Amino acid sequence: MNDAMNKDVARPEWEVKAEDQSRLAFGLAVGELAGRDPKVVAISADTIDLFGLRGFLERSPERLIEAGIAEQSAMGMAAGLATTGMRPILCGYAPFITTRSLEQLRNDVAYANQRVVIGAACGGIVLAMAGGTHHAVEDLAIMRNMPNMTVIAPADARQTWHAALATEQLDGPCYIRLGGKFAEPPVTAMDADFQIGKAEQLRPGDDITVIACGALVAPALAAAEALAASGINVRVLNMHTIKPLDTHAILAAAAETGAIVTAEEHRTTGGLGGAVAELLALEQPTPMRMVGMPDEFAIVGPTARVREHYGLSEAAIAAACRDLLK
Amino acid sequence: MTSNYAARIEALRDDALGIRRNVWRALHGAGSGHMGGSCSAADLLAALYFNHLRLRPDEPDWPERDRFVLSKGHANAALGAALARAGFIEDGVLDQFYAYQSSFGMHPDIKMPGVEMSTGGLGHGLSVAIGMALGARMQTKDFRTVVMLGDGELQEGSNWEGAMAAAQFKLANLTAILDYNKIQQSGAVAEMQDLEPLADKWRAFGWAVREIDGHDMEAIVEALDALPFATDKPSLLIAHTIKGKGVSFAEGSFLWHNNLVTDDVYEKAMSELGDGA
Repeated sequence: MNDAMNKDVARPEWEVKAEDQSRLAFGLAVGELAGRDPKVVAISADTIDLFGLRGFLERSPERLIEAGIAEQSAMGMAAGLATTGMRPILCGYAPFITTRSLEQLRNDVAYANQRVVIGAACGGIVLAMAGGTHHAVEDLAIMRNMPNMTVIAPADARQTWHAALATEQLDGPCYIRLGGKFAEPPVTAMDADFQIGKAEQLRPGDDITVIACGALVAPALAAAEALAASGINVRVLNMHTIKPLDTHAILAAAAETGAIVTAEEHRTTGGLGGAVAELLALEQPTPMRMVGMPDEFAIVGPTARVREHYGLSEAAIAAACRDLLK
Repeated sequence: MTSNYAARIEALRDDALGIRRNVWRALHGAGSGHMGGSCSAADLLAALYFNHLRLRPDEPDWPERDRFVLSKGHANAALGAALARAGFIEDGVLDQFYAYQSSFGMHPDIKMPGVEMSTGGLGHGLSVAIGMALGARMQTKDFRTVVMLGDGELQEGSNWEGAMAAAQFKLANLTAILDYNKIQQSGAVAEMQDLEPLADKWRAFGWAVREIDGHDMEAIVEALDALPFATDKPSLLIAHTIKGKGVSFAEGSFLWHNNLVTDDVYEKAMSELGDGA
């Protein structure tokens, strides 16, 4: 989307290597953070290549702990390392690192408030073909309900890089939801300002606001473009941080545009849509539609096709906007 | 045996008695609690806190301190008693067990001085302790990490993930102590999900294992002094103990895993324990 405006900018090494894949951008950021701070240590749960950490492992084998396919132990170790002043970054699969090791995450990391950064690859239905065991469409709802936890769902690889680097400033745990092994269209600028907890307005508009995160930001922008042709001006907010929520941006959008559509690759219960609805119900009741997944285990299929099946698309977002403006 | 050594052992026995008396005191104040597993661990905790662990109670966050994690978090009354006796917390905190806004709840809270990790959910402490031991190694610090495991919690699979990892990482700076009192909430461990042959299992997982009577203070001190049991393996000390040790009507009974402590029961228990230092 914003590629055009970046065309003449020299692409930094991380941007070239990440190849439009947030999981790789995160892995590269692990290396960058480790170079800056000797306390940073990566923990793999048999995820070295998933995160592109092979080079890091070869350069700095003492800085990568392989926990094996053992998320509970990996999560506990991360918490224990953090108590000693280390800065562990745990690299896991979103479906497993959330639910398999959930009690370790809740007790050892969140309750004990340890500085553990969790990178969760294959969030949403990136692994749609793999079946419900490998879908992570409740992770944001789970993480939102962890006190002390920061929850981020970057829109693309570039934003993932900036988000991962921003975790340096955090005093508590953080969950970052990532994509899988295929390209995520870039929607943010390479050098865009990134602040945890501050929504990024990607498009101005006064008629309606689409608040999206992760993989749904690109279709949200496309829907806004399509609706513009019909004279509907859609504001698009990239709500990369689910927690702490940018309540100011949401309330301003509600007041200024009067209608809100949320869009996420997650069940509509408890994630971004849920968070926005909770806020608006209490502070400023506003007509809303939620684009997301229903209360069922998702079907199997190619990710793009399954996204269409559940209406995680430009067309569905545009339809929700039109429906709301009727 | 030198008289110094004998005096040291005698002092540690007094420490253990003090811990047991304060366990009963805390539980009496709260009205109930996990007496059995707190008193089975009392001798081990006395030896750890008053002989083995390098700590600075007036500087609880001293970076070089040894780390102790109570994985069987329901024995927190005993941990609190040890922390108070060592000077990490005020003695009066022991009268705040389960109290409104207390730092001294049923399970350890990392916010209490001297507590290294919030525990309570079973099967967590070992992997946390592995992280601490790795943290020591990565920062080239020589602090040691000790984790106390319960027997019932070894039924949690997460322990065996940790058992594998600690051996893989050759963590000689890590010691696990098993308070093997043979009883869990609903009955005998052996009748619920038996752990045996336990020492063999841990050896097969790559640990150096020793077994002792966990109420024989000389044996405890000797074993802790002998750590690490191997130069390239984590150490496991299996301490055979008696649930509710020290009070006849509570010893060896699953009913005293967690029970009410009335005035009458409390008086009887304290009179059986006798006056300690």
